[in-house]
Amino acid sequence: MRRLVRPVCQVVRPLLLLLVVLTISGCVSTAYRDDPLEQFMVNQQASLALNTLEQLPQKNRDQALYHLNKAILLRMNDEFDKSNAELEIAKQIGANLEALSLREQAAAVSVNDAMRSYLPAPFERAMLYGLKIINYLEMNDLDGARVETLQLDVFLNQKFEEQEPPFARYLSGLVFDANGELSDALIAYRKSYEAYKAVEMKIPQQLQSDLLRLTDYLGLDDEHQDYLDQFQLDSWAHQTELEAQGEFIVVIFSGLLPRRHETAINAQDPRSGQLHRVAIPFYEQRQSDVENIELVSLNNRQQGELFEQLDQQAYDNLDDQMPGIIARAIARVTVKNQLVDNVSNQNQLLGVITNLAGFITEQADTRGWNSLPQQILLGRLTLAPEDYDIEIKLKGSAGEQITTKQLTQVSLQPGQKQFYSWHWPASHVTSRNRNHENTTSTTIYYRSR
Amino acid sequence: MNHHLTGAITLAGILIFGGVLQGCSTTVDRIETDEVVDLSGAWNDTDSRLVSEEMIADVLSRPWITDFVNKEGNPPAVIVGEIRNLSHEHINVNTFVGDMERELINSGKVEFVASSDERGEIREERKEQELHSTEATRNAMGQEIGADFMLKGSINSILDTEGKKQVRYYQIDLTLISMADNRKVWVGQKKIKKMVKQAGLRW
Repeated sequence: MRRLVRPVCQVVRPLLLLLVVLTISGCVSTAYRDDPLEQFMVNQQASLALNTLEQLPQKNRDQALYHLNKAILLRMNDEFDKSNAELEIAKQIGANLEALSLREQAAAVSVNDAMRSYLPAPFERAMLYGLKIINYLEMNDLDGARVETLQLDVFLNQKFEEQEPPFARYLSGLVFDANGELSDALIAYRKSYEAYKAVEMKIPQQLQSDLLRLTDYLGLDDEHQDYLDQFQLDSWAHQTELEAQGEFIVVIFSGLLPRRHETAINAQDPRSGQLHRVAIPFYEQRQSDVENIELVSLNNRQQGELFEQLDQQAYDNLDDQMPGIIARAIARVTVKNQLVDNVSNQNQLLGVITNLAGFITEQADTRGWNSLPQQILLGRLTLAPEDYDIEIKLKGSAGEQITTKQLTQVSLQPGQKQFYSWHWPASHVTSRNRNHENTTSTTIYYRSR
Repeated sequence: MNHHLTGAITLAGILIFGGVLQGCSTTVDRIETDEVVDLSGAWNDTDSRLVSEEMIADVLSRPWITDFVNKEGNPPAVIVGEIRNLSHEHINVNTFVGDMERELINSGKVEFVASSDERGEIREERKEQELHSTEATRNAMGQEIGADFMLKGSINSILDTEGKKQVRYYQIDLTLISMADNRKVWVGQKKIKKMVKQAGLRW
């Protein structure tokens, strides 16, 4: 029997190799997967995207992603209450998945990383709270927004020892500000300021103005002078002026978060003929169409500003994960090789099949909350209390107008803030090259950004 | 022998299959409403009940009611004002406020008037009556009872988290304020503290 099997294996292996060569060009392969929801989102067809999402097969281990994506699509349809319900489910799933599953860990080191349940990354979970807050604000439920803000604070303190997401802290400041809790608002704005410095982002002028306003109002003279020296602002709104006026605040979710794709090293052991494969994820590069916003009402114009770059947070998160991803990938090679050796000793043909199965199942975990925006822009328009028609203009990087939306009869009351958000997911992939990872057939070198 | 073995294996298979099926099905067990069931550690019906029991016992035992009756000759009318949820959780305050209303009304010592949210609908109906009801059954405008006291309050919480452990502290403060002169005639307070430990492992 053994005499018969050995020649068969000698025929099968070259055939397998031929198959691999035909399907993979070279010893390093790259795989791209398109998101079926993306085109509907770009076309502002949230209902169609929702239908598509409902029809897609859902794996139990990707439950969190399903609810997160559904929440974004629902809020694009102005169904804020339902969106919050989905976000709450995703939040609970995330909390439950914090517990370690030995079964899933074993699957991750024997099959692939995607066998684990999807636990949203800390920056994604911070955005989950952020979106819930904005949903409540758009429903004029300040108490609801405040509850989520307190939960967000606990989460940020737990999960981010350094480099907190700056927009999450700014949003917290806005909620406390809208509730008239000015001390808490100042604390949140301070943390946001520190976070912007930590991630080396430009400090938004609006945040500078808020820090000056509140330190002045609360009588923190030294801190106020310190901010005055740092910011060099010509003018900023005083608290008493702001309390006499109404404020319209627009949050623009621009572009879509870059997708993760797979890059893999494929090799064959010349002695045993075994196929080996190591697959790791990498991010494509994207460019949002909308880079600027302008709010216009009567003779008042106000430019918005960039407040968050979620793509950068996604890159940083993958950088942090990469040592673990590589370690598990190498562990998988060892486990799979050992298994193939053991099976081959019993039955060579079965060994070849096992080797092929291990090769095919070696896939990178390319999952992510892909309906998240790439960046967040925010604009604030302060006007005397009255009803206004307000135009929101979305502009490209060169200042060209991309689209506009007219809101009628927006009622602004003294000391009150009206919130409005708009998703504009249009964006394009600028690069699918593996700019940030260099892979060779023997070693993986991962260059941190 | 083989026949017996096959039979035993079949029986064991049926039992295991049955057990699996039972594990997959939804089960419903009715339990007493005062039974304590803590699942997540979040605010639940037990907390709400503890608050209402404590507050009702306290508010009925204080002298503000007798003081008012001795002075005015009629039971005080109370209106429920804003009870703000300033905690970390979305808490429905209507449950314990409803319990308090019921107990106070049933005690016969206090009257409640409709809150500002409820009044709008009643007034709308009264307007409709002016137009569509017979004179004998019509209820006239301007006959509402003005409240003597307003019940206001807040729920606050403090969370202390370290790793998988969390201490949750809730403080519920309710205040009765005299509408005539802004005097606080009663202040009720209930504190609840819980230790929540999250699971470290899962299947």
